[in-house]
Amino acid sequence: MSSMADSPKTPKAPSTLPFDFVPQEPETAVANNPHAKATTQVADVVDALKAHFDQSVRDLVVYAGEHTVLVDREAIVEVCRFLSEEKGFSYLADLGGIDRFTEEERYEVFYNLVNIEGGKRIRITIRVEEDTMTAPTVTGIFPAANWNERECYDMFGITFDGHPDMRRMYMPEDFEYHPLRKEFPLLGVPGSLPLPPQSPTGELTGDPFPAAHGHKPPKSFQEVKSEEDND
Amino acid sequence: MSSISQTDWSETLKFWPRHNEALYKRLETKHSWLETSGDGAPADPLEHEMVLNIGPQHPATHGVLRCVVKLDGETIERSVLDIGYLHRGIEKIAENKTYQEFMPYTDRMDYLQPYANNVAWCLAVEKLAAIEVPERAQWIRMMMSELARISAHLIWMGVGLMDAGAVSVFLCTFQYREDIYAIFDEVAGARLTVSHSRIGGVATDVNETGIGLIKDFTDRFPEAVESWEKLLNRNRIWIDRNVGIGQMSADDVVRMGLTGPNLRGSGVAHDIRRFEPYLKYDEVDFIIPIRTEGDALARYFVRLEEMKESVKIIRQCLEKLKTVKGPVRTDDAKRAYPNKDEVYYSMEGLIHDFMYTDTGVAPPKGAATYHAIEAAKGELGFYLQSDGTGYPWRARMNSPSFTNLQGLEHLLEGAHMGDMVILIGTVDPVLGEADK
Amino acid sequence: MGSENALQEGFLTTRVDAVVNWARSNSLMPMPMGLACCAIEMMAFAAPKYDVARFGAEAMRFSPRQADLMIVAGWASYKMAHTIRRVWDQMADPKWCISMGACASSGGMHRCYGVVQGIDNFLPVDVYIPGCPPRPEAVIHALMDIQEKVRNEYSVAQDGISGKESPSIAPARPKIITPEGDTTVSPSGLSIR
Repeated sequence: MSSMADSPKTPKAPSTLPFDFVPQEPETAVANNPHAKATTQVADVVDALKAHFDQSVRDLVVYAGEHTVLVDREAIVEVCRFLSEEKGFSYLADLGGIDRFTEEERYEVFYNLVNIEGGKRIRITIRVEEDTMTAPTVTGIFPAANWNERECYDMFGITFDGHPDMRRMYMPEDFEYHPLRKEFPLLGVPGSLPLPPQSPTGELTGDPFPAAHGHKPPKSFQEVKSEEDND
Repeated sequence: MSSISQTDWSETLKFWPRHNEALYKRLETKHSWLETSGDGAPADPLEHEMVLNIGPQHPATHGVLRCVVKLDGETIERSVLDIGYLHRGIEKIAENKTYQEFMPYTDRMDYLQPYANNVAWCLAVEKLAAIEVPERAQWIRMMMSELARISAHLIWMGVGLMDAGAVSVFLCTFQYREDIYAIFDEVAGARLTVSHSRIGGVATDVNETGIGLIKDFTDRFPEAVESWEKLLNRNRIWIDRNVGIGQMSADDVVRMGLTGPNLRGSGVAHDIRRFEPYLKYDEVDFIIPIRTEGDALARYFVRLEEMKESVKIIRQCLEKLKTVKGPVRTDDAKRAYPNKDEVYYSMEGLIHDFMYTDTGVAPPKGAATYHAIEAAKGELGFYLQSDGTGYPWRARMNSPSFTNLQGLEHLLEGAHMGDMVILIGTVDPVLGEADK
Repeated sequence: MGSENALQEGFLTTRVDAVVNWARSNSLMPMPMGLACCAIEMMAFAAPKYDVARFGAEAMRFSPRQADLMIVAGWASYKMAHTIRRVWDQMADPKWCISMGACASSGGMHRCYGVVQGIDNFLPVDVYIPGCPPRPEAVIHALMDIQEKVRNEYSVAQDGISGKESPSIAPARPKIITPEGDTTVSPSGLSIR
């Protein structure tokens, strides 16, 4: 490494450190990605989509051989129906949300579709605004989307219109936040999830660290106190 | 009419009142698959209905799965599955760890086959950052992933049969799992949570002892499988318990998005190893077992035969490892950890090691890729989005158990209570990855 | 502790204690609260190689009413914590708790919103086992620690405490707190109004 030849006494400005990562241009990465697969070469499907829905298809990103198509939020049901019935992408592999943390179009929902017979994969994404927080459901076309949309609601708060069962997936209904939003702290909000009582007839504990604050749950029967104990 | 709707749950239950209220309300109001499959008229509710809450703690050892079922005698009319009892939020943790730091968390996702999860994560990051992996590392990864697949199927069989009542099979399969654990111990240093795979390759090469243990295992294991086949394949009790249970047609499974042996047991020929070959799966010779019946017995046969195919793959990998020599990790310092010799004995190596731990792999900003592998349970994929730093912006884990559990809700309706254990076993969920 | 009336030793009670404790320690019935990866190592600890039947503790009873040792194996999420506590309350005295693994003892590597950072925040733990997951030998070591703890109990005195209402016996049916006062649910079912 050339940097090792420099004298250690002169501190470098951060921008000249050799390990400063210059973001690689996506286009150069495509050409020599050793993991790009043949299944994601769906340029013809994307062209058909553009031909069919020319106003609704907003953007196409190609990276590592994968095609990600951004469509209008209102058009997603029609796009899914087109892909499922006419192009054979009848298998929904995954559906999920992303918090882009931008002023506009904060959330994104992606749909990974697979054409089993044709051996193809495609990804469709839609953007959801923070003020509306709704998106149309695709459970009518892909019943597999049921739990994935519930998880998206649980983690981000995006409700899906027309979903038969819009409940939370992982967190209990009593929980009031949406954890995967970028502003939700990793350690959670103390008191948002109560702990069980420390005795059978006790009250729920709002403090997440009662043992550290001196409230260890008592044993239910008397114990021998040995000489070594020094509580 | 039902006493449930009149009960004020917030008083009766001291914890999660709103959650349980929503759950029971959903049970009351959902349209059962049974109801809509008829002529469309709502079914006449009989007097003898009972709501039974199964779990989250229960003897079926598949994890903390809660099923709330509405029973009409012995028949399950409607069921609602409640998961999330093992939810940690690892997708959020992933946003706060570098790609390499996150490796141990992937071990704990599907903890029956931790090596395969590691490999899946490594492949996803390598696709994102366009990192090439040396050939020897790919063969090692493939061999250990197939061992992990055997390990997961062994637990499935042992626990599935134990829950169905035949406890001795559990003891047998666990003995072979201990052999696999000895292999992992030797090769990777840990029995269960291995974290042996590294971004850009694997951590260490397999030594002679490890190869010897694997060879010994592949010599002894097929006889064990044969003995289980002799015990079970024509066993009247096992067949009667499984035939016709959990029947799903090929259309059903594709619509419901099921994956893995659930797809292949119903005749859908979809296996990621053939669909989009990764590692060296296009250079080994193996078949994908497919059955068309779609019931629990078909899935049992699929998994059993997958174990045998895995042994074939491992043998071929062992052969290849004799000739394919070379590094087990890529040499690029910004893409993979340097060799430990370099780290201990050279300044550059030390600095590279430090920077790799601190900064990590930095894929291009805005890059997003999805890479899936065929885990024992199905399609395990990671959708990674990068923001240019060493921490993922979004790490979405597409776990097969989550997608398979949707199918379980459908399977339970119309089944008998006694078949419930078989149904859970045939779908084979692992709640650690379903709950993320 | 040595409170006035509770733990009275004498020659006879210590002899009976020795026998009772010997029987109890060699026939512990674990209730495996197997949640996650540690549950797999717990199954391995019951499997032939690290046979726990040598210690008499192979009778894994999944019903809390029949068990006396709860092994919490795996991380406890907040949602699951209430269930674990409820199951613990249903176990009869004397009962012991092993917290198996780093996640159960302290939250482990999961320092995040969903995981309780240590089950000793709501359960009285007797033995903690470090490890992620602990090897089955470590679990056996913990079991032997519990056996030693059991052998040092004043069992006769504890069992013989009578007349004193122990506040820690869980009610068999949930108590309903209404403005009029506490009522217990009627045996016939759920309709309580």
